[in-house]
Amino acid sequence: MPRITIKVDKDLCIGAASCVTVAPETFRLNDENKAYVLDHGQEPGGPTYERTIEVSEEEKENILLSAQSCPTLAVSIFDEAGEQIYPA
Amino acid sequence: MRYVIVGGGISGVSACEVIRKRDPKGEIILVDEEEHPLYSRVLLGAYLTEKIPREKIFLKTEKWYEEQKIEWLRGMRVTALDSKNQCIALSDGREIPYDKLLITTGCQPRFLDQDLRGVSYLRTLDDADHLLQLLHEQGREAKALIYGGGFIACEYLWTFTHDEIPTTILFRGPWFWSQVLDEKSGRMISTWLKKKGVRVVPSAFVEALIGEETFEGVKTNQGVLEGTVLGVGIGTIPELHWMQEAGVKTHEGVCVNASMETNVPGVYASGDIVEFEDPLFERSLVARTWTNAILQGRIAGANMTGGTEYFKTVSAFSMSILGLDAIFIGDTSRDAAEQIVVEGTEETGMVQRFMREGRIVGATLVGRSQNRAFLTKAILELMKL
Repeated sequence: MPRITIKVDKDLCIGAASCVTVAPETFRLNDENKAYVLDHGQEPGGPTYERTIEVSEEEKENILLSAQSCPTLAVSIFDEAGEQIYPA
Repeated sequence: MRYVIVGGGISGVSACEVIRKRDPKGEIILVDEEEHPLYSRVLLGAYLTEKIPREKIFLKTEKWYEEQKIEWLRGMRVTALDSKNQCIALSDGREIPYDKLLITTGCQPRFLDQDLRGVSYLRTLDDADHLLQLLHEQGREAKALIYGGGFIACEYLWTFTHDEIPTTILFRGPWFWSQVLDEKSGRMISTWLKKKGVRVVPSAFVEALIGEETFEGVKTNQGVLEGTVLGVGIGTIPELHWMQEAGVKTHEGVCVNASMETNVPGVYASGDIVEFEDPLFERSLVARTWTNAILQGRIAGANMTGGTEYFKTVSAFSMSILGLDAIFIGDTSRDAAEQIVVEGTEETGMVQRFMREGRIVGATLVGRSQNRAFLTKAILELMKL
């Protein structure tokens, strides 16, 4: 199972919620109307804008799609080696 | 199989991606009015306020179109559709046959009758470049007027206040976004804008622009207002004539079902141009958001390649009015609502709930973002709140 790190840039996030629509298990909006990162619907360690999680290939694909759907490019995805996968 | 996509925005490009994945050998032709590779129009504001450099707003490179084997016809428009012979005519006179056609040409800004140097619209990257050029030329002399009370007005508010330009906003309605928002939500926004140093002129109609070649001000029903730059954001309209002439059903946009099919076989539409049948609310909706454009484009792409996907989502629209969040969720048509429940104060934020048959179908939140998740869920489940 691949491990990926997901980061939301809260200064760029405008609460369009595309990521929440595409990957509701991975993103949720907080009271400031900013997206933060979940681990399969859970928040171990509390809400955070950055999280490393283990996902299936299918989940990874969908999370990438959710990042690509962000109109402000506020979501970045990194692989296990710390290489940025998106935005490329 | 030849797929022709008309419109190179996010909806059209999303469709191309899905088509290429599902049909690696199909021929894809993308007719694009723009000269630039796909960029995020939502990021134009961040570019204007120097939050990000210009190159960061691009979502695709020129190479991407080549790699995906997409024949990208840039700077091109469609002038006619012949749905009987399955063919479109282009602005350069060429005719292109199609097996499946997707219309995703979006909307145009509503233009004023007059134009002068200093008048700005904000739809494309070229518009943003033009505005930056104007502001650069005017420097400390700049004095801004904004005409409109919606999303584009917000972008102008951020841009002008970022540059510390004295700013006056005029709306045609009695308050910001008055077609959707109630009086208390509207007053809350006006108070907020005044607190931020913006002069607010409600119920103002621009009757004429003042100036010979260069913009000097506006004549309104409330007198003359002087300025050096005018940002216009008074709504958008889809251009529908070539679809209508070909027998494609239109209303406020191109009418599609939840599969993104028009009434003409083989012709699909998605994104800002459509009015779609919403299975959740059981009526046709116009909801021009980035998320809808992507999702609908993907669904159209899947269905053009033999899929059976449906669009079903609670549309949401979010904007920051100089730091005050306003969010619209679901069906916020005042006409279609049977009852609208307004709650809150300027201190706690305002909520409107749009009700039909005793169930919640839409909501607006001003300065009350914390209720968003709950209300979205309630609308999705059509709860009796």
